[in-house]
Amino acid sequence: MRVLVLYSHPVESSFAAALHEKVIDGLQNAGHEVDDCDLYAEDFEPRLSREERLAYHDLEHNRLPVSGYVERLLKAEALVIVTPVWNFGYPAILKGFLDRVFLPGVSFKMADGKVVPNLQSIHKLAVVTTYGGTRLRAFLVGDPPRKIATRLFRGLIKPGAPVGYYALYDMNRVTQVQRENFLSKVHSKMGAF
Amino acid sequence: MRTLVVYSHPCPESYNAALKTAAVETLENAGHEVRVIDLYAEGFNPAMDADERRGYHEPDKNVEPVAEHVEAIMWCEMLVFVYPTWWFGLPAMLKGWLDRVWVPHVTFEMPSETSGMKPKMQHIRKIAIVTTCGATWLISKFMGEPGRKTILRGMKALCAPSCKSLYLAHYKMDTSTDQSRSRYLAKVRQHLGKF
Repeated sequence: MRVLVLYSHPVESSFAAALHEKVIDGLQNAGHEVDDCDLYAEDFEPRLSREERLAYHDLEHNRLPVSGYVERLLKAEALVIVTPVWNFGYPAILKGFLDRVFLPGVSFKMADGKVVPNLQSIHKLAVVTTYGGTRLRAFLVGDPPRKIATRLFRGLIKPGAPVGYYALYDMNRVTQVQRENFLSKVHSKMGAF
Repeated sequence: MRTLVVYSHPCPESYNAALKTAAVETLENAGHEVRVIDLYAEGFNPAMDADERRGYHEPDKNVEPVAEHVEAIMWCEMLVFVYPTWWFGLPAMLKGWLDRVWVPHVTFEMPSETSGMKPKMQHIRKIAIVTTCGATWLISKFMGEPGRKTILRGMKALCAPSCKSLYLAHYKMDTSTDQSRSRYLAKVRQHLGKF
């Protein structure tokens, strides 16, 4: 399968970078063709500009400023997101990918004022992530990033496509052993993706 | 009350800009001292870079790149956010402001072996959100309202235990009319005026 990996962490020596490496390695071992989109390394601009906002509903022109990213998204048969959770949400650079690339005509179409999903070519989704907070605190906050994956993304991709959500919580207090176990788990999940 | 309005929309001619103007006027008329941060106008960079992330846990050093913003959140007693809801969440611009400005040691203490996270923004006693949503109320609820929860559950947990909140949204923006927009502007004035 052609898998688009969206990765967002600025530091090469971070735990997220280690997860990213495991994800790429696991997917390649499983024989997938991987398009590794490292948002920080590619210096992705997360701010939707005034011009983009004005042309947002213009299906011919709205994708021009991000045409490369749109092409990569539309070619993908599966999507894997590797990111830390910051403040119970995605880092801005990843949220900006949604704002700027998930455009009308790309990720959805408008028909009679209703949103019709348009990423049916994606038939598998996984999210690999870490939280500073505990699982309980994330639950009490309503776990926004989990819902983005299990409700929003699930609704845009092929109906019934499997969605995997792999998260390590309480990052400031987890032990070395827990971190290593999570890395192995992610590696094996991606190896079987 | 010292009030900080944080506004995020790229178009000065947008409906959100009108909401921001109405919010500021209303708050000033109600006798509050108002400061405005217009993130797009000041060219705020929402992506936390590698150096900043490396220094994230270091007291003082983590404040340096965003010192003026940190000063503003320490100054205010009320926070008012005005933004369009995009993909059920905050625009990247506003999310990045939270990521970069609400740093540890200032806004909270990291959890340790023996104790949980400790909030440090008890001087903030009110938080309001004024937003617009493309989706309906029902779909927004089904998606779990990520933007609303990031602020009114996540960030609010760092503020005063009795912190009051107000959430105002105009749904179905794509089929909004002049009437619905004026009605919502009036609603914003009315609710913020007595908040």
